Amino acid sequence: MIEVRGLTKQYGTVRAVDDLTFDVQPGKVTGFLGPNGAGKSTTMRMVLGLDRPTAGTALVAGRPFARLGQPLRVAGALLDAQAVHPGRSGRDHLRVAAGATGLPPRHVDDVLDQVGLGPAAKRRVAGYSLGMRQRLGVAAALLGDPAVLLFDEPMNGLDLDGVRWVRALVRRLADEGRTVLLSSHLMSEMEQTADHLVIIGRGRLIADAPITEVMGGRHANRRVRVRTTAPDDLAGALLRRGLRVHPADDGDLLVEGAPAETVGDVALELGIAVHRLAEQTSSLEEVYLGLTGDSVQYGAAALTGQAVR
Amino acid sequence: MTAATVPPRPAEPGTAAVFARAAGAEWVRLRTVRTTWWCLLAATVTIVGMGAIAAADEAEGTATAADPIASTFAGEYGVLLGQFGLLVLVLLAVTSEYATGSIGPTLQWTPRRGVLLAARVAVPAAVAVAAGVLLALVADLLALGIDPDLTLTLGEAAGGLARIAVVLAAGSVLAVGLGLLLRSTAGALATVFLLQLVLPFLMQSFNVGWLADLAEWLPGTGAVRTLLREPDSLSAGGALALQVCWAAAALAAGGRRLLRRDAG
Repeated sequence: MIEVRGLTKQYGTVRAVDDLTFDVQPGKVTGFLGPNGAGKSTTMRMVLGLDRPTAGTALVAGRPFARLGQPLRVAGALLDAQAVHPGRSGRDHLRVAAGATGLPPRHVDDVLDQVGLGPAAKRRVAGYSLGMRQRLGVAAALLGDPAVLLFDEPMNGLDLDGVRWVRALVRRLADEGRTVLLSSHLMSEMEQTADHLVIIGRGRLIADAPITEVMGGRHANRRVRVRTTAPDDLAGALLRRGLRVHPADDGDLLVEGAPAETVGDVALELGIAVHRLAEQTSSLEEVYLGLTGDSVQYGAAALTGQAVR
Repeated sequence: MTAATVPPRPAEPGTAAVFARAAGAEWVRLRTVRTTWWCLLAATVTIVGMGAIAAADEAEGTATAADPIASTFAGEYGVLLGQFGLLVLVLLAVTSEYATGSIGPTLQWTPRRGVLLAARVAVPAAVAVAAGVLLALVADLLALGIDPDLTLTLGEAAGGLARIAVVLAAGSVLAVGLGLLLRSTAGALATVFLLQLVLPFLMQSFNVGWLADLAEWLPGTGAVRTLLREPDSLSAGGALALQVCWAAAALAAGGRRLLRRDAG
C-alpha cells in the first residue's frame, strides 16, 4: 500500500505538486493519469524518496521509502528506462541491484528470462532499443519480489506485443495481491488495465475513484446512436420530447439524455424503420479530457495567447 | 486470486549489513564499466613509465655504491603525474551516475543516502589507493633494475608507499566530494586538475608574491610536498593537514548535496 498525504513540491514559484492526498490499495491496478507536466513523475519520485517534498509525506508499506534498508524487497519501480549506464550489460546492471539488496545472483537470471531479455543479457545497454530498456527496468523492479510496484509510462517505446505483455504483467501482479501504481498517457490502455484511477492536473487531485465510477460520472455522456430511413421526422419527434439530437457525420442521429428504449419507442409510434440502435458510453479519453480540460498547462489556448502578444 | 503470494515485508537489516551490500554494489559498478579499466591502464603506463624514466635519469646522476639512495623516488614521481588516471577513475564513478541518470536506480536500491555516501567514498578510494600503491611498488622495483646503485629496504618501501597512500586517499576523497557537489564530469574534472596539479605550479611560476603565497594553501602543494619531500617551506605535518582539510571540506560540501537535495 502507498499512502500519500498532503504531498507538495515547489520549484521556485512553480507548484509542481499541490497538496496531493490519496492511497494506492493492494490487489488493484491503480492508474495514475494527468496531462504532461501535471506532476505524475514528480509525485512518484517523492514517493520513492528521490525528490524531497516541500511539504507532506508518502509512506510505502507503512514507512518512508528513504529509510528502507532493502527497498527492492518492499517496492520496485520503473521511472525512467533510459536512466541506465549504457556501458554496462543488462545483466551487470541487475547484478548491481541484487548486490545492493543482498539477493543471490541467480535471481538476476530468473528475472531476465521472465522479461524476455535472456538472450541480450550480456550485451551492453547502449545497444538496447527503448523497448528492451523498458523490459530491463521492469526486471529491476521485479528483482526483489516486492509487494508494491510503481511504473511510470512503462508502455512507452513498446511494440504491440510489449504493450500486451505489460498489460498482462500488471494484471497478474495485482491479482497476486500486490499494490500496483501505473502512470500512462495511453488512455485506452488505462481503460483496459486499471481498476482504479487517480487523476491529477496542475499538481492537484482531480479524481480518485474506481474506473467504473469515473466512466459513469458527470463527464461521462451517455448517448444513443440511431440509424433510420427518416432521420428528420425522428429528430423532430425527439426534439419535441426535450431531448438533444444532432446528426453524426455518417447520417446517423446522436441522441443525448435518453436510453435506447425511449428512442426505439418514439420510432415505433411514428412507424419509422430503425436500422441501427446503439447505446454509447463515452471513452475514458473523453471523460479524462472533460475532467482535465481546465488544468491543461500547455494547451492550444496558451499558445495562441502567446502568439497574439 | 489470493493475497498469500505477496511476500511479507522483510525484517530491516542493520546499518552494517546495508553498508556491506552498498559497498559490494559499488564494487560491481566499478568493475563492470570499461572506463575503470582504461583509467587503470593509463595509471599503469604513467606511474611505471614515469618511474622508469626517473630511474634512468638517476642512473646518470648522484647515487653511487658508496652513497646509495632509495628507489622510492621512482614510484613517487610516477604517482605525481599518474595519480590523475586514478582520480579520473574515482571521479567518473560519481559523475557518470549523474550524466546517465543512473543515480535514480542507485538511490532506489540504496535509499539511505548516508550509507550510500560512505560506500561511494570508501570503495573507489580503496581501489585508487590499492592500485596506486601496487603500481608505485612496481616502479620502485623496476628502478632497482635500471640503476643498481639504488637501494630499497623494507622501511624505505613502507615509508614511500605510505606517503603515496595518503596522497591518493586524500585526492580520491577530494574527487568524490567535488563530483557529488558539481555533478558534472567536465566541471569536477577541471576543478580537480586545477587544484591538484595546475594551479600549485602555475601560481608559483609567476613572480607575484601573493600568488605564490596563495599556492601554498592548495591541496596539490600538499600532495607534491608529501610525495617529493620538498620544498622545505611546508612541513610534512602541514602538508598532511592541508590535504586532509581540503578533502574534508569537499566531502562535506558534496555529501551535503547528496544528503539534502533532490536526487538529480
